Amino acid sequence: MNRCDQARRLFGSYWDDEVTQAEREWLESHLAACPGCRQQYEQFARTLETVGSLPRTDVAADLAERALAAARRATTAPDRIAVVRARPVWIQVTATAALLLVGLSALLPWLGTPAVQRVLAGRNAKVAEPRLVATASRAPEPVRLDSLGIDHTEDVEFILDPVVLHRGRAQAPSRLPKGVQGEQAVISF
Amino acid sequence: MGRVAEDDERAFTELVRRFQGRVGNLISRVLNDRESVDDLAQEVFVRVFVHRRNYRRGSKFSTWVFTIAANLAKNEIRRRVRRRNWFSLDALTEVLSDSLPQLADPTESREQGLEREQLQGAVGRAIATVPEKYRLALVLRDIEGLAYEEIAEVLGLPGGTVRSRINRARGMLQRKLQPLLRKQEAP
Repeated sequence: MNRCDQARRLFGSYWDDEVTQAEREWLESHLAACPGCRQQYEQFARTLETVGSLPRTDVAADLAERALAAARRATTAPDRIAVVRARPVWIQVTATAALLLVGLSALLPWLGTPAVQRVLAGRNAKVAEPRLVATASRAPEPVRLDSLGIDHTEDVEFILDPVVLHRGRAQAPSRLPKGVQGEQAVISF
Repeated sequence: MGRVAEDDERAFTELVRRFQGRVGNLISRVLNDRESVDDLAQEVFVRVFVHRRNYRRGSKFSTWVFTIAANLAKNEIRRRVRRRNWFSLDALTEVLSDSLPQLADPTESREQGLEREQLQGAVGRAIATVPEKYRLALVLRDIEGLAYEEIAEVLGLPGGTVRSRINRARGMLQRKLQPLLRKQEAP
């Protein structure tokens, strides 16, 4: 960078009086010796002087009153119906988390009980084959299907799932000897 | 401002009277549009009143009010650009011609007066052609006389960026005005 470029870079700081003593002395001596830079600085200073002396714009004489009237209008009017003020979200989140913690800590001792363990173990257990419980001394009276009010000759709907419905014909052939009662019934279709 | 925050409307009116000239001038120089000055200046003070409780006690009120004014002026420029309704450069000349008779030096000759008017008109038009981000910094510094630190706070920029923008704006302005300044220098 030559001396003139260096000098021109300092014009702004010099105008703002933000140069060091050494910079000021160096620039002033350069301006005294360099007519090109002197002319540039004069133009720079004249530009900023003119900018600073531009006539000021007047605002409306009643601006203060107008602003106050508009500010009153802009201030939120009170609600005409009672509205429950919403609490900050973090309070709800913290309260929910606290409730969950309390609930979990109450459940923990119960989770270890044998009843729960049986329920949990039973979820994965296979359905046991029907086993012989007792043999009837005589064959039971056959139940009349029509007495149940169900027509088993027609298609029967089995609800296996709360959502999915399967349609099929009821077929429940017993593999147990005649006259034997089973503790479980297996229905296949 | 403390009294304004406590809903003292008289204090608010006094505050508007104290700052309305500087706020109006900033808006006028940045937008180069006399017509919008009153409405935008009013909007600045409405926001001051509405958000009076957000004002941090101990900080400079001028910085806060200039921040609001600068943001509203920027929004207005962008709104106009979006609507392709860019403001006319001639508007400033009209403003200047309206204000000049009150400001003319009585000892100045008619010729000197015309020369000054011509230069001021050219400077006003030249400012309006400086890109917005440089223009705002220039107006805050060289017209409103804010310190660099205050401009940095108003514009939410680091001090170095503010200095660099002001230097660039001054350079642009000087280059735009160079032909006129040379002509005036010639005997």
